[in-house]
Amino acid sequence: MADEIKKEPPANFKVTIDNITIEVTPGTTILNAARTIGGDVTPPAMCYYSKLQGSGGKCRTCLVEVAAGSTADPRPMPKLVASCRTTVMDGMIVKNITSDKVKDARAGVVEFLLLNHPLDCPICDQAGECHLQDLGYEHGKEGTRYEFKRRTFEKEDIGPYIQLHMTRCILCYRCTYVADQLTDKRVHGILDRGEHAEISTYISKAIDNDFSGNMIDVCPVGALTDKTFRFKNRVWFTKPVDAHRDCENPKCCGKTTLWLRGDEVFRVTARKDQWGEVQSYDGKPGWICNTCRFDKKKTTDWVIEGVTKINRHSVISQGKYEGLVMPKETIQEVLGGRSPRLLMDIHTESEVNKPTVHLSEINGPAHSDTFNEGK
Amino acid sequence: MARKLLLDKANVPGITSFEVYRREGGYRSVEKALKMAPAEIVEEVKKSGLRGRGGAGFPTGMKWSFIAKPEGVPRHLVVNADESEPGTFKDRYLMEFIPHLLIEGMVVSSFALGSNVSYIYIRGEYAWIPDILEKAIDEAKANGFLGKNILGTGFDCEIYVQRGAGAYICGEETALIESLEGKRGNPRIKPPFPAIKGLWERPTVVNNVETIAAVVPIINEGGEEYAKIGVGKSTGTKLISACGNINKPGVYEIDMTISVEDFIFSDEYCGGIPNGKKLKACIPGGSSVPILPANLLLTTAKGEKRLMNYESLSDGGFATGSMMGSGGFIVLDEDQCVVKNTMTLARFYHHESCGQCSPCREGTGWMERILKKIDSGKGEMKDIDLLWDIQRKIEGNTICPLGDAAAWPVAAAIRHFRDEFEWHVLNPEKCLTENFGLRHYADPIHVPVTA
Repeated sequence: MADEIKKEPPANFKVTIDNITIEVTPGTTILNAARTIGGDVTPPAMCYYSKLQGSGGKCRTCLVEVAAGSTADPRPMPKLVASCRTTVMDGMIVKNITSDKVKDARAGVVEFLLLNHPLDCPICDQAGECHLQDLGYEHGKEGTRYEFKRRTFEKEDIGPYIQLHMTRCILCYRCTYVADQLTDKRVHGILDRGEHAEISTYISKAIDNDFSGNMIDVCPVGALTDKTFRFKNRVWFTKPVDAHRDCENPKCCGKTTLWLRGDEVFRVTARKDQWGEVQSYDGKPGWICNTCRFDKKKTTDWVIEGVTKINRHSVISQGKYEGLVMPKETIQEVLGGRSPRLLMDIHTESEVNKPTVHLSEINGPAHSDTFNEGK
Repeated sequence: MARKLLLDKANVPGITSFEVYRREGGYRSVEKALKMAPAEIVEEVKKSGLRGRGGAGFPTGMKWSFIAKPEGVPRHLVVNADESEPGTFKDRYLMEFIPHLLIEGMVVSSFALGSNVSYIYIRGEYAWIPDILEKAIDEAKANGFLGKNILGTGFDCEIYVQRGAGAYICGEETALIESLEGKRGNPRIKPPFPAIKGLWERPTVVNNVETIAAVVPIINEGGEEYAKIGVGKSTGTKLISACGNINKPGVYEIDMTISVEDFIFSDEYCGGIPNGKKLKACIPGGSSVPILPANLLLTTAKGEKRLMNYESLSDGGFATGSMMGSGGFIVLDEDQCVVKNTMTLARFYHHESCGQCSPCREGTGWMERILKKIDSGKGEMKDIDLLWDIQRKIEGNTICPLGDAAAWPVAAAIRHFRDEFEWHVLNPEKCLTENFGLRHYADPIHVPVTA
């Protein structure tokens, strides 16, 4: 999304977010303006998805304080506003992490979101690439104050490719927007209301559509997972590579990320941008079809472009550092070429540690007997 | 006896029929209004100072003047008859006994707003009322007050009655519009407001039944005359649906100049509290508004007599005041338990939360469970603080006011009745069989003398 904004004509609305002033085009939302700045200033978003029309406003994690509405009307907004659905005005002053009110409300929202979440990350396929996990780490408290039974749902089968695990759902509604906007016939939506609201197809009907798999990509949690990948591997053990193929489906972009282990393709997903959303190509979101996603599970089906760049803060990047550079040792430079001099050799001062015993040479860890010469 | 503008003819036999209603002076306002320009009617309503009777009390004339008027786009008037607030049943009375008053008000309002197709969205539980309204609509049509070319002025107006399926949330105006469009009744994210993009993305005004009915006397008598009734910014008359521990529950029309004390204890209105019990607390404007203990209900924190109007009831803000709300006046006597009452309300909001945004979806259920825990004698002191913290995190952070409506009663109950909550925690056995009682809740408030 950040790329898309830069391509637009010269910006002319000045907006200040956490004391950083930028210019954006009129009609930009506060969230997208903050995304052009990036970093901590960007509010987290669990339900907003820039590629899905009408999404956002529901999860309330992106609440920000508007300290001044605009230059023309500098009154502050009385309530915190959902930054994903509020457009900027010229001279607007927004406070995100600089506002205690926002931090307090966000911690509250995280607690609410986790209230009925099963926290079954150890057995959840989304773990490692779960937005709720990230949100919990960054903005949540260490424990919950909820002491009642969490609401649960029966696992539901919604077709051969997608597993719906409603207990984990945070009701972001993204998948219903996918169903509305990507697939030609929507067969799933929200049933019931309140805490018991659930994503469902009517009476467990299978979802059968060429683009239904994109629901998995937009799901911020592990509520919708890829059945062909379930329990096969943890994402951080797999190696993501960018690949493409000439897909016969005209609506499919054919550009994907393959999640490999050795030569085995464990999973195929659309490519994600830095906000965890599907990458755009020429202003069009790069949704992929179910054939690419579920059926092309051989490396020979694909032209591999190279290793996918993963944010170094993500657990997926563990052990996959490219071009690892050790920091330079500068002490000799600082000392003008001299080596640092040992000021005190502890062995000459004290006999306690038995300088004759070389810890690196003993078998196993040292314990008191190692130094006890009496025995 | 205060003047009645809405209900004065309610007891005339056969008033639900067109003939009797017309004989009693009905539909005069249509005849008058259709000779005026729409902008003049809006101006009259502005002058009258009429405030929305649905709960928020927003000036109706101002709301009407906000409606966008793009070329070639139809506009709509939607009457919100999804009266689901516990304690509120005034619109039901109005629609059931004088349906023509609503239809008359709708014709005038539709003309003022330029709506050729207007809707009444009525709650599903009022199963028998749509028939009454539809009969009234048919009669009005047969007599030329509705339909094509009303009274030969060239103004067309159709009114349709749409039944809801029994969801409290559909009383929120944008959820109502969604439901009217045939979708799931989830509130929309504002802006855009309905006045710009409402029903089918067209400019829409959503008004309460009583508000629209009040347009009739405003047109008949003129806005300035109407504004003379009442005090300050609380003009005209207001329907109050009184219930709870009172001798005469029912719907009363007041002119907003009487005191709360008179309203509860005078024979003209509620007639006092049965069995010689004492007043403990009251929710003056429907379940969402803050509950007040007897002492703060009858006098404000400044020691003045509290009156039954918008300003006086909200005097002192939420710290020591409440709200006029929708006029659902619920009285609690000394035998009522505020903890149980709060739990019942929390259960209602939990049940009615639409589940769209997280604070309300998760928070309402959490509050209900904690209140249930305290009510059943298993509560701990920390639960009271936790409740306070939860309501604080719901309030103001949700898409629609349902979150606030769920948070306010809990907040007010803890604010004013904290010792009753603590008593429940400290007496886990006793609280199951006994009642905290009146205690100090009716004691006079100390008002510091200013130098």
